Amino acid sequence: MEQNFSENSEYLLKIENLNMIFKIPTLKFDTLKERVVNFFKGKKNPAKKLQVLENINCEIKRGESLGVIGHNGAGKSTLLKIVAGIYRPTSGKVDLKGNVVLLNLGAGFDMEASAEENVYLNGAILGFSRKQMKKRFNSIIEFAELQDFVKMPLKNFSSGMISRLGFAIAIDIHPDLLLVDEVLSVGDTNFQKKCIEKINSMKESGVSFMFVSHNIAQVKKLCENTLWIENSKVKGYGPSEQICKEYIEYCNSIQKK
Amino acid sequence: MASIKQWTKNKNILHELIRKNVKTQYRNSVLGILWSVLNPLLNMLVMWVIFSQFFGRNDPLYPIYLLSGNIMFQFLRASTTMSMTSIVNNRGLITKVKIDQYLFPMSSTLSSLINFAFSLISLLAIMLCMQVFGGHSLYGYQILFVLLLLPAFLLFQYGISLFLSVLYVFFRDIKHLYNVFLTLWTYITPVFYKINSIDPNSIAYKVLKLNPMYYFLTYFRDSMYALCNANAGVPSWKILGLLYILGIISVAIGYLVYMSLKKKIINYV
Repeated sequence: MEQNFSENSEYLLKIENLNMIFKIPTLKFDTLKERVVNFFKGKKNPAKKLQVLENINCEIKRGESLGVIGHNGAGKSTLLKIVAGIYRPTSGKVDLKGNVVLLNLGAGFDMEASAEENVYLNGAILGFSRKQMKKRFNSIIEFAELQDFVKMPLKNFSSGMISRLGFAIAIDIHPDLLLVDEVLSVGDTNFQKKCIEKINSMKESGVSFMFVSHNIAQVKKLCENTLWIENSKVKGYGPSEQICKEYIEYCNSIQKK
Repeated sequence: MASIKQWTKNKNILHELIRKNVKTQYRNSVLGILWSVLNPLLNMLVMWVIFSQFFGRNDPLYPIYLLSGNIMFQFLRASTTMSMTSIVNNRGLITKVKIDQYLFPMSSTLSSLINFAFSLISLLAIMLCMQVFGGHSLYGYQILFVLLLLPAFLLFQYGISLFLSVLYVFFRDIKHLYNVFLTLWTYITPVFYKINSIDPNSIAYKVLKLNPMYYFLTYFRDSMYALCNANAGVPSWKILGLLYILGIISVAIGYLVYMSLKKKIINYV
């Protein structure tokens, strides 16, 4: 059923009028003691509303990729987490017709557990049984180049090694949509090259990407369209070539000031 | 269809979480699994020697009374304290992947089952020794009564675990409060004393009778007695029914708290 439906529809992801507001308490109370003491002192703890994303609209067609650019804190990572289903948007619609994997730094790993345990745990989270993951295990470890570190707890890994593992798992799962949040920047040059090649071949086989990066050249190369978010709003949305050019001009104009 | 898929997925995640919990627990000890048999065994021997001097000198079955009460309470203590911090400790996962948070206290509760199993084996070993020394016989199939009890006890513990783990996200100091509460709970549960040594008209007696743990301990002890004495009779089915009701109430409370605070968890871990 699901399969037929997704083939008929032309888009893989459609985001409509998406708003995300975080309610952040101005004082951080996380103990009972503080709550009680401040209650008797008459101190209130009003939640500060922070609009992280405002009226976002975009879509990704099957097989196409979307780049997401903007300055730090613009809301790019939050957008990806909403698409991945980790956060629930305050309002608006996220329509996703397929399965999705989010790749970010420290991609949902348990640092106390070994690489092997994390592969199986991650597999389970992504919906694969141990049996299914066993078949993939060797190719994952091989791609991540971690053959000598299978039994080592992840806390002893470098950030590059961790992101390699996350990337290797994600590509072996073959999702419909892969959300990539700046993970490529930590790997060494060889691994980056290997990843880009893999991403290209996955793109050819029909996997879509949503690609957050500060590497504008990479975004231009990989993505048909680009979404530029500035101060939680869409500043530009359209063909990558044009949006990236506008973004670079904007960055330069800020620097001059 | 979607819910069946989600269910198998969560079952797989639970499986992996338990595996991981158990592995990390034994990774840092040299004796590993062996230690988890020796530890309860040595503890029990100490308790046996010390407490038998003060209580129940006239009761040959007192060691079984004491040790069985103790391992049941220890099981509750271990699973709930481990579960309490489970959601917060897994913040690395919660903020990076989509995962149902109730799985963390569930996996911690189930992981404690392994330690309980080791304690139970130690208790049975001691009972076997007593058979040699005290002339009791040990029957086999009555161990099934323990298996009847376990699901109810796990439900009971899971309810408390879920409740505590969600609360801990918002109030980090309940860890200390719960420790104090556990000490109090141990003393109002007949672990080393007997309930018939208390005046039935006193308030203390009424408090003891309101304590759910009293009934769990009673059923567990009765099944242990049935194991070493054929004339001890079958543990009360009425109590077993009550235990399942207690288990379901506990889970219902935990679930209600979880559902009402679920959306807020991710902003506070």
